[in-house]
Amino acid sequence: MSRKRHRLVPETFGLKRRRELGDVEADPLRCESVHVAVTRCLRPGSAREAVAEIVRLFPRVLFEDALPPIALRSQVYSLVPDRTVADRQLVRSVRATNGKALSCFVGTSEKALQEQGEIRIVQLGFDLDAQGIMFTEDYRTRVLKACDGRPYAAAVQKFLASVLPACGDLSFQQDQMTQTFGFRDPEITQLVKAGVLTVRDAGSWWLAVPGAGRFIKYFVKGRRAVLSMVRKAKYRELLLSELLGRRAPASVQLGLAYHVHDLIGAQLVDCVSTTSGTLLRLPET
Amino acid sequence: MLGFLSARQAGLEDPLRLRRAESTRRVLGLELNKDRDVERIHCSGVNTLDIEPVEGRYMLSGGSDGVIVLYDLENSSRQPYYTCKAVCSVGRSHPDVHKYSVETVQWYPHDTGMFTSSSFDKTLKVWDTNTLQIADVFNFEETVYSHHMSPVATKHCLVAVGTRGPKVQLCDLKSGSCSHILQGHRQEILAVSWSPRYEYILATASADSRAKLWDVRRASGCLITLDQHNGKKSQAVESANTAHNGKVNGLCFTSDGLHLLTVGTDNRMRLWNSSNGENTLVNYGKVYNDSRKGLKFTVSSGCSSEFVFVPYGSTIAVYTIYSGEQITMLKGHYKTVDCCVFQSNFQNTELFSSRAIRDKAKILIQVF
Repeated sequence: MSRKRHRLVPETFGLKRRRELGDVEADPLRCESVHVAVTRCLRPGSAREAVAEIVRLFPRVLFEDALPPIALRSQVYSLVPDRTVADRQLVRSVRATNGKALSCFVGTSEKALQEQGEIRIVQLGFDLDAQGIMFTEDYRTRVLKACDGRPYAAAVQKFLASVLPACGDLSFQQDQMTQTFGFRDPEITQLVKAGVLTVRDAGSWWLAVPGAGRFIKYFVKGRRAVLSMVRKAKYRELLLSELLGRRAPASVQLGLAYHVHDLIGAQLVDCVSTTSGTLLRLPET
Repeated sequence: MLGFLSARQAGLEDPLRLRRAESTRRVLGLELNKDRDVERIHCSGVNTLDIEPVEGRYMLSGGSDGVIVLYDLENSSRQPYYTCKAVCSVGRSHPDVHKYSVETVQWYPHDTGMFTSSSFDKTLKVWDTNTLQIADVFNFEETVYSHHMSPVATKHCLVAVGTRGPKVQLCDLKSGSCSHILQGHRQEILAVSWSPRYEYILATASADSRAKLWDVRRASGCLITLDQHNGKKSQAVESANTAHNGKVNGLCFTSDGLHLLTVGTDNRMRLWNSSNGENTLVNYGKVYNDSRKGLKFTVSSGCSSEFVFVPYGSTIAVYTIYSGEQITMLKGHYKTVDCCVFQSNFQNTELFSSRAIRDKAKILIQVF
């Protein structure tokens, strides 16, 4: 149990908050991708910066730039401290339930990233919880490049031009595609062949990333490998700096930092702050 | 705190503000209490606890061996170290004791003269506290998982019973028979709860991943089925119209009855607006839950930001309800925690928690 008086206590009594000195200790996970020498590395406060940071960690070279850089939703949770705020900044419909409690958060006038069309959220097939986030621009350029010169190029271009800006959902229904957007059945088949849509069940499709199969394979393998690194450690816990300093095993292609963000955000490891830095520990349950 | 007191004295502050601030401070300072203990009567695990709502002095506990014990929580000795004594118990030698494990006990909401208990032996028994005799028995066809009686009802005495069958039964204490059945679920009902705001609104949670809100006066079916995606079809079709991606294990209304919390075996807890059934999408993170039957959790009342206490493995996790932030994990039990109840009377704020499998019968967690 945490013995320190929780920070809500002075807030409850309306005392003046002591000015926080900030993290002087340079957190290796946060600073890895920042090349400018800074004395303190703050966690990005907003979801957009979090997605941008993960996109920086994504190994583009591995996929020969054919895949848009994908960040997972759990990685955004690891960078943005409050999950409800992260959800609201990503997706539109999180509404404030108690104005008093949430008054310090983002005002309701700021539109969510998905609502603005800046990011697309995609359901990655291996887990109901795992959703991939990427910038719409990246997605659009990569898909156009992938379908260049192929027979389905026309259908894909029509899809990107009409459907993507209009509908921000993860999946599309039959009547939506045929009536609202005017796609015929052969065109939809071409979209599935192109990899832009994946069949969900009769009459509905998920939005998909062409060529994402390799990414998902590397991701699942890498996640299992990093988790087993923590599991094999003595007492099933590892200092974060030590984990990042180790050589990545062969099955981890996407980078240790990428996977660690995902594990922390998905709560597959507990993050304990100690005097020697952050400790990753497997939960007992 | 002193500033608050002097402001209250001078009339600059509303008295309610001081009360709320102090309640919140006490909840934030909850810790395992070394001075108080509860007498161990149960030989096996304790499944359920209930503190009477009138005075907050007596507590009932129901165990896996069918034993029901009544404790007096008040410390009338002058010592700081105190063990809550059992006043009386329905032991194995009692002629009317439950045959199998007692799943839920509840005090009669208006006084302590009566309490109800339901058990895996397919009965709901109504007991007279003073004589410890059975006043009435309701028999069912399936094992009973949970029952609840409305704390605010004045016009009816209905007890909602959730059993292994898909129908919710409503038993009337005045007439002694089951008055009606609510149909709509497809698998066993793991938790039922009446709204603390409206006396006819009932919430039920079932193993078919659905949670429903009912108005018991309405004949044609449930009012709302809680949908985690709020009607958007963009998620997987098998999770359409479901509250969770697994069984829905526990239900708790907030103390004002405006919101409803549900926990499910998909390790999630969700907060719903109880008037329109909308998922408020507050994200609590992973709330570990592998209980095969119901999970009983509780909320605080009277604090400035309300807290929910959920059994999480062998600890109790404390979250703020409306922002989803995890405050702390209360450690004290050695094995899985099954149930916790909260009371904030006397000079202390106390959270009692109980275990299901054979370890300490109860550990008392109290603020000082």
